[in-house]
Amino acid sequence: MGAAWLLRRLVASIAIIFAVVTFVFILIHVAPGRPCPENLDPAVCNELNRQFGLDRSIPEQYWRYLVALAHGNLGYSFADGRPVRAVIAGTIPFTFQLAGAALLLDFLLGLGLGISQAVRVNRLPDVVLGNVTLFIYSLPTFWLALLLLLVFGEKLRWFPVGGASDPVLCSVVNSLYCVGDRLWHTVLPAFTLGLVGAAGTARFQRAAMLEVATQDYVRTARAKGVPERRVVLRHQLRNALLSFITRFGLAFPFLLTGAVLIEWIFAWPGMGRLAFNAILSRDYPLVTATALIASTVVVAGNLLADILLGIADPRLRVRADTDLVPTA
Amino acid sequence: MLSAMLRRSAPPLTVFIVLVTAVLAGCERRGGCTGANCGTLINAAIGEPATLLPPSSEDIVASDVGEQLFLKLADVGMSENTLGDEDFQALLAQKWEWDGPLTLVFHLDPRARWQDGHPVTAADVEFTFNAYTDSAVASPYRPKLRRIASVTQRDSLTAVFRFRERYPEMFYDAVYHMRILPAHLLRPVPRDQWRTAPFGRQPVGDGPYRFVRWQPAQSIELVADSTFFLGRPGIRRLIWRFTPNLQVAVQQVIADQADVREQLVTPENVNRAREAKHLAVYTYGGSVYTFLSFNQRSPDDSTKPHPIFADREVRRALAMAVDRASLVKSALGELAKVPPGPMSALLWIWDPDIRQLPYDTAQAARILNAHGWRDHDGDGVRDKNGQPLAFHILVPTTSVLRKQYALLLQEQFRAIGVHAEIDAVEGAIVSQRTKSGTFDTAILSRSNDPSPSSGIAQSWTRAGFGGSNFGRYYNPEFERLVDRAVTATTRERARPLWRAAIETLNADAPGVFLYALDNLAAVHKRVDNVQFRPDSWAALLRTWRIPPDRLIDRDRVER
Amino acid sequence: MTFATWLALFVALVVAAEAVRALRHRGLRSESWRRFFRQRTTSWGVGILTFLVIVALAAPLIAPFDPDRQLDILHLTNHSPSWTFLLGTDFLSRDIWSRVAYGARVSLGIGALGALMAVSLGTLVGALAGYYQRWIDAVLMRGVDVGLALPRIFILLMAVALWDGLPFPALVITIGLTSWFGTSRLVRAEVLSLRQRDFVVAARALGADTGRVIFRHVLPNAAAPIIVSAALSVGNVLLLEASLSFLGIGIKPPGASWGNMIADGALSIYTAPWSTVFPGLAISLVVMSLNAVADGVRDALDPREEPA
Repeated sequence: MGAAWLLRRLVASIAIIFAVVTFVFILIHVAPGRPCPENLDPAVCNELNRQFGLDRSIPEQYWRYLVALAHGNLGYSFADGRPVRAVIAGTIPFTFQLAGAALLLDFLLGLGLGISQAVRVNRLPDVVLGNVTLFIYSLPTFWLALLLLLVFGEKLRWFPVGGASDPVLCSVVNSLYCVGDRLWHTVLPAFTLGLVGAAGTARFQRAAMLEVATQDYVRTARAKGVPERRVVLRHQLRNALLSFITRFGLAFPFLLTGAVLIEWIFAWPGMGRLAFNAILSRDYPLVTATALIASTVVVAGNLLADILLGIADPRLRVRADTDLVPTA
Repeated sequence: MLSAMLRRSAPPLTVFIVLVTAVLAGCERRGGCTGANCGTLINAAIGEPATLLPPSSEDIVASDVGEQLFLKLADVGMSENTLGDEDFQALLAQKWEWDGPLTLVFHLDPRARWQDGHPVTAADVEFTFNAYTDSAVASPYRPKLRRIASVTQRDSLTAVFRFRERYPEMFYDAVYHMRILPAHLLRPVPRDQWRTAPFGRQPVGDGPYRFVRWQPAQSIELVADSTFFLGRPGIRRLIWRFTPNLQVAVQQVIADQADVREQLVTPENVNRAREAKHLAVYTYGGSVYTFLSFNQRSPDDSTKPHPIFADREVRRALAMAVDRASLVKSALGELAKVPPGPMSALLWIWDPDIRQLPYDTAQAARILNAHGWRDHDGDGVRDKNGQPLAFHILVPTTSVLRKQYALLLQEQFRAIGVHAEIDAVEGAIVSQRTKSGTFDTAILSRSNDPSPSSGIAQSWTRAGFGGSNFGRYYNPEFERLVDRAVTATTRERARPLWRAAIETLNADAPGVFLYALDNLAAVHKRVDNVQFRPDSWAALLRTWRIPPDRLIDRDRVER
Repeated sequence: MTFATWLALFVALVVAAEAVRALRHRGLRSESWRRFFRQRTTSWGVGILTFLVIVALAAPLIAPFDPDRQLDILHLTNHSPSWTFLLGTDFLSRDIWSRVAYGARVSLGIGALGALMAVSLGTLVGALAGYYQRWIDAVLMRGVDVGLALPRIFILLMAVALWDGLPFPALVITIGLTSWFGTSRLVRAEVLSLRQRDFVVAARALGADTGRVIFRHVLPNAAAPIIVSAALSVGNVLLLEASLSFLGIGIKPPGASWGNMIADGALSIYTAPWSTVFPGLAISLVVMSLNAVADGVRDALDPREEPA
């Protein structure tokens, strides 16, 4: 895995991002409906279109967009005229908070469950946990979100009903109390996302570890009389961890814009909700910018996962630019 | 390895986590505000405005916030009387007089100040009028000001309004629609960029409250101006918290995370609010009516009549097929009334005895049969000359109630052999299609000003073509009656004229008037002196108080 | 519920149970089938799926009421489950059990068709890429990378939200077109490894043309991951359709789909939880069954020994 491979991958990544942005740009400009807000009269609407350059041909608009992008200018949101960079930057802390918390839960719970299942395979705890994870994995996340919000938010009042912070004290995080407040607000949405993710991870980990368990070197070690514990922990864990790293690299980008439903239900001001509203109101600059960022993170995540895997398992380095783990 | 490590360190780890959480939870800042003017009021608002600049926004939240930040010259009183000038409350204008039949002179209160210290002057009033009526700003309030010819300043505290004609609501038009803006801050901003001007996100006003901050996608915070010249506001802080829909907003109020929800809408929400021990439910009239609009022009070509709805008798038959009372009872219980015409209960012309089309499916069927609409091909849907009696109902996805009504109407029409399909699309598309006339029918909501004159003219006369008269309803007899009603000098004289006009409109069935919601609000019990003015619930927020003995944690926060 | 509908429901349950039993019996003769049924959950999964498919197909017989009919808007709205209304009624006094039954047609239909499209497309692309390698592989796989780089829900939101009122087939096609990327990678990996195997080399040496080699020799041996992928795809597409309908941009009213039933019920979740719980439960059961079946297929076709 030398510099040549890295360079090739980088170039390919940039090409992919470019292709994605082009695709999104064309798609949204070709779609019917113009971004004029509700009660503007047609003359003013036309003037606005002219101002934003929407009356020019699509290739020309595309070129202008690329030029602006090269200068680091992501454009201005149609809704309120603020620079897109500022709008998106405002949502990034919240998105990362939610994604981070969800992934933490996913990782800890999923790994723990998967490993403990694989260690006691086919005995009662494994079967029970297996069914439970199967059920949770199959739940529609938005349905779970509604139920959790009703039970824990409204009826039991253990957690806040939506929002990211206490508007009275903590609209800006300026004390330890506010940090705690943010965490408190993160629990329900992160739990919803993380729980379903953890169930998936647990299933995946269990399968991965079982697969490793049957491989020759593990059986050899067992035949040699090496204690069960050590066999499990050293070989299985390490190799199963490798698969986890790839999953992690791919899960994170999903949480950026894929958590739209959760953000919507919990009124969480993240990038997913921003993207959804932008699409509906045809806020072209915001939509293209979100696509750009989302695809960059995905591609970077893939690259990172491949690099980590390459480092962690030398065997995988040989097949340098093939795809290492199939994605769902 | 991992599990062993976890097991060993679990107890201390757990204890640590518990301790930290306890400390953080206990670390709440108990501030020192303990008096008569403390208090924080959180409003669970739906949606987020794009700008707070008054002429550029018809958004409800922006309007409520604007109510606290910017003053009008004067405002209607609780009686909602819009004729003459006796029942109005002085705000920015201390006194006024008539200088001839077409000239109104306002004397501004010298104590009024912008929050950056500058005094409010007549130059601001002149500037505001010019901005509101400037086509580059494209304010939706512009048509309401068309009868004012000009506004000039006589001296720094005297503003002169000149009208084009004489009519009973001159004073109302002069004061109600405009919020006075700071000329010294807005003059430099090019008029066509007002909608996206930074001022709209950090407004400077002269009202009882001062803008503090706007956390995008989260909340807007205002703080009371203790030197406000008309009296210090009772509640120190106002926060509008944005929620994506009605359900989350109601949940927040019920879970005691917000204090006010100005409209509960559904019977279920009202019941939940009534059951919640910390909430009080207030009724305050309603200013919105919702109706099914028939487009009388063809959606494909607005110069041609609609194949179905251009026929008055068909419209009447369809209107008679809808059991409006049952629909209201089913969807809204006791919380709404069947409007006797295009009006909400706010309007003084409301009168359930106004003649309307009855609910009579037999008659409806007879009329349709008589006009050739029969089921010739046995598919359950009437048709005539090969054209089925089928159309689309346009409905915004954001309104739960209107979607419900669309489904209910679909069923009502099906019962008499009419096929209706529902197009549930986003609000922006509904606006676009209704404005351009590319729809068959649409379920629309209209908000009334306290006066019937502007609203009804805008929506149901030729003046509204290209404006809000989407269905292109036109009846010269109706317009004549409306003109006479609008120029009548007293309510007693106007009443029978309005009645005749509405009855004429009802007979033409340009739409089906479905419901007029009564506003029911849920407010935290600790808030005192809760006054709602029916046309704008937030207009009197500055008079609300939280007594010192009822302060809760969020009220005491000092910042 | 009339006598006829109770009978139909009973018959559906019995048929499903019998189908499972029959399969298990038949399965005892073959090693793979035995492995398939080893887990109890797989049998349950097959049973539940069969039952729901029967319900979907026989909806007119099983559903006691017309799913769009508002029975009595003044007295029967949000009625709790009873002997007449097995799963209760919703806010417009429509019978929920009937809507679940007809909704099964829509949701399962979209799931199956969307998955069929996704898996077919993915298999085709993956097989071509894996077999031909070189530049075809590079081009196709970069295309797949682009497809994977965009979060799927983002593209779907754009496609569905921007073109309002997409008819049912267009919705299915759009979902199918955005769901095939993962399958293609999977198939490609399989084909790559199978390519080197003796029987493929032999076939080519004997002069078989490429298409024949791919379809008759390579793909059948790659069946396991493809079938698993298909089963999982149906579940994914189902969840996707439910999400879109919940957001208001999938199946439009009054058509019943499990997703928009959850959205409708979300408003009365406090006083009438059954209108949200049952459609959600239906979705969960289907996805669970599909996952269980996919597990079974994996067990059956990819043998591995259990550690002692």
